[in-house]
Amino acid sequence: MERHFELELEKLNKRLIKMGNLVAEQVHNVFDALLKGDTELAHQIIEKDSKVDKLDNKIDKLCQRLFALTQPVATDLRLIMAALRINNDLERMGDHAVAIAQKIEGISDYHEIIVDLRIDELVKMADMIVNDVITILNTKNVAFVKDIFELAMAIDEKAQAATARIMEEMMHKTDVIVVATNLIIILTNIERLAGYSTNIAESIVFIVDGRIMKHKKKTFDMINEASATELIQNAEHSTEKNNVSNLNENLSSEVTPSEG
Amino acid sequence: MKEAKIITRDLTLHYGQKMALNFINIHIPEKEVTAFIGPSGCGKSTFLRCLNRMNDLIPSVKITGEIRIDDLDIYQKKIDVVNLRKKIGMVFQKSNPFAKSIFENVAYGPRINGVNNMKALTEIVERSLQNAAIWDEVKDRMHDSALGLSGGQQQRLCIARTLAVEPEIILMDEPASALDPISTGKIEELIFQLKKDYTIVIVTHNMQQAARVSDYTAFFYLGELIEHGKTRKIFTTPDKKQTEEYITGRFG
Repeated sequence: MERHFELELEKLNKRLIKMGNLVAEQVHNVFDALLKGDTELAHQIIEKDSKVDKLDNKIDKLCQRLFALTQPVATDLRLIMAALRINNDLERMGDHAVAIAQKIEGISDYHEIIVDLRIDELVKMADMIVNDVITILNTKNVAFVKDIFELAMAIDEKAQAATARIMEEMMHKTDVIVVATNLIIILTNIERLAGYSTNIAESIVFIVDGRIMKHKKKTFDMINEASATELIQNAEHSTEKNNVSNLNENLSSEVTPSEG
Repeated sequence: MKEAKIITRDLTLHYGQKMALNFINIHIPEKEVTAFIGPSGCGKSTFLRCLNRMNDLIPSVKITGEIRIDDLDIYQKKIDVVNLRKKIGMVFQKSNPFAKSIFENVAYGPRINGVNNMKALTEIVERSLQNAAIWDEVKDRMHDSALGLSGGQQQRLCIARTLAVEPEIILMDEPASALDPISTGKIEELIFQLKKDYTIVIVTHNMQQAARVSDYTAFFYLGELIEHGKTRKIFTTPDKKQTEEYITGRFG
């Protein structure tokens, strides 16, 4: 006979994964709409956000109930704490998908810019990071968390490079200022999607290991060599200070990173 | 809320001159678990014992008001109290198996109610022990003394004994307070199963237990019913300040 409490935790896990799948679908669809200039699809994404909000409230209420009525400890406590955070991050990701959708009409006449700036590559990476983190949420396999951090850094790098190019264009061609601004907003939202994906990855590690990864710098050497568990241990004990500027340098020059 | 199985109206109880329950009005829903919580001496066990007229056994007790079960006033003169207590089973804090075999403990109730056929008795005993989640642990030693069981097993045996006479309501007065955490967990899990078929009222001084097992919670204080509602509401957004203070441990 499965314990009643375990059934409730399973309900929470299922709802969280449902939320993850719903948001991943929204994100995938908005990228599809962006690349195709599909304003009809963009509109559907905006309409569907109410489903995300409704599920967000349901999960919050379930977490509240579990805290109040079941006195969870250890892994159960971590799961419910993390569920609240993951739920919030997913809801915010849904909002960012909506924010992107809202800008699609504003750039639909300048679709060639998306091709020119290779936004499709960036979008593919962002779609991947969201899908990958939802997969990890489902499997709780933290060995792949390092991939999320790595991909997030790459997305940030690419988005910032694209933003810099757009700003350069704006300085020379004033007639593209509006569409350029919309594009920058879209790129910022894509960066935020990557950011929230790393937040979720950190929360999953918290569930599995109990370790708190947020606010720790994820250096390239550390990501390259260690599993997430080792990563956490190294972050705590390491005295080396490989920083993000070194990372950018390594990425742009495609030099193999040094051994840690 | 489901249909009310038990309704009390202005129920008041005195032990001699001392008032122990003061105008209790409550609807206890059918096939749900209702927990009574409150500090020691608040009247929760006294109220529980009113529901199966166990307080009749105390000479100084005087009761006014009404208790209706299935819309029948249980304190009217024509009520057969023995039959009432068959319909409303009770499990106590300290398990009280008879000094008989496991089989005879459970068979006792049906036997004195006229079931003499051995095959029928065996079926009733097995079904009751299964429903009390203890069958697997005792099926190979049915003729061993019940006193040889552990505390948690004895309590589940007492629950099986209650179930054997096919009650509709089960009253539990701190059924797990004398048990270790594992046995307590088994009793609580059993309560989840039993509520599919029985209306359960449980008195507990353990608020966390009330939060875990019950659908409805009634908070008593100094003989008064302060608040009664869905457990999830009581433990997240109680209406009364006294309730909030009690469940957060700020009482007094």
